[in-house]
Amino acid sequence: MATSTDSVDLVDGEIVGNIARAALFAALVAGFSYVSFPNPLAPNIPVTLQVVGVFLAGIMLGPLWGTSAISLYLAAGAIGVPVFSGGSAGLGYLIGSPTLGYLWSYPVAAGVVGLIVHRGTDLQDYTAVGVPLLVGAMVAGTLVIYAMGTVGFAVIQDLGLVESFTVSALAFVPFEAVKIAAVIGILRRDSIAAV
Amino acid sequence: MLHYQPGDSLAHRLDPRTKLLFQIAFATVAFAYTTPRGLLAVGVLGGLALAGADTNPLRVLWAYRFVLPFLLAAPLVAMLTLGSPWLVPSEGVGPALASVRNLVVVVVCGGYVRTTSIADSRAAIQRTVPGRPGQFLGLGIELVARFLPVLQRDLLAILDAEAARLGTDRPLRERIATVATAGLNRAFRRADRLSMAMQARCLSWNPTLPPLRFGWIDGPVVGLSVLLLTAAVVRLAGLSPLL
Repeated sequence: MATSTDSVDLVDGEIVGNIARAALFAALVAGFSYVSFPNPLAPNIPVTLQVVGVFLAGIMLGPLWGTSAISLYLAAGAIGVPVFSGGSAGLGYLIGSPTLGYLWSYPVAAGVVGLIVHRGTDLQDYTAVGVPLLVGAMVAGTLVIYAMGTVGFAVIQDLGLVESFTVSALAFVPFEAVKIAAVIGILRRDSIAAV
Repeated sequence: MLHYQPGDSLAHRLDPRTKLLFQIAFATVAFAYTTPRGLLAVGVLGGLALAGADTNPLRVLWAYRFVLPFLLAAPLVAMLTLGSPWLVPSEGVGPALASVRNLVVVVVCGGYVRTTSIADSRAAIQRTVPGRPGQFLGLGIELVARFLPVLQRDLLAILDAEAARLGTDRPLRERIATVATAGLNRAFRRADRLSMAMQARCLSWNPTLPPLRFGWIDGPVVGLSVLLLTAAVVRLAGLSPLL
């Protein structure tokens, strides 16, 4: 091991808690990419929960720590922790995969959802936020994800925007409404432990 | 699944920062020279890089099979037109070349995953990204790697419990909410215990990292990476008639 003569620079207690939550949230989003539900309309296109994790990160951790958590998820995937769909990993996913736009959009979407729900960067009690605002925030997040994802696909695959949307997004869009409804259901449950 | 395996290949002995630089240089040059001849050269270089990492390209390809449908669909959709003649093969050439390039870039980056441990990657990131962001990324990445298997096991147990109680017959929205709520509760409980444990053990911003040292072996690879980046910049600036 390398020796260091610097004095120990302790991490502040509150920040330790936030780091632990951000890291566990990133690991949970990664765990969500392994959980797929059969799609009732098209059985060969499974529904995964990563986007649910992105929305929840923005809502529960706020815009700053939510974005940090999802950025951690991407960074961990880039260096080889198997966090992307199907347990894959590698920097190639962020610089050469056709789905790179979707991955890069996740931290932005978490930030947008967090900013709208908390009406700024200061954390508010998300349990007191009305359903219309939550739905509006998640619709905005979904728009960010599909806009960046489609543009990313078009650029990296040398395709037009309409064709990119058809190939990369069309089959998944109807289930975003189910995911948004599921997130509202999660936030309204009494059994949720995090405040 | 592709993961780190200890070994003594050329790529195992390289500094992780050198390997990160090479991947970026490789991708940049592949983007700059997306022509049949350019991609042939890039493909040969990628093959050599994977050989240096003692990695079987077919194994990496299998690990990345989830991107293949997108890579195949893109040129096919580009060829389709509404109305006669319905199929214009020339429209698919650009997207097909892009698909080949993207596949090569993704597969070559698999060599890094197989030859670099998480601890070395953490040290590389923390020494490359300055200040608190680098320290946060380094610490966070190690925690994600440590807790991913644990949370995966939690989620599998939740899914098992759901299936045992016929939860699989419930509507999709309810299933997602049930699984995600249970997963979140487990994750937050673990986060609270982890936070307590890290404070008790005096978590610091500047822990002792594994040593990283550029060796003589890194020199040629760094040189090659700089050469590739220069070739890409020259091409993108419109100065090169090559390939």
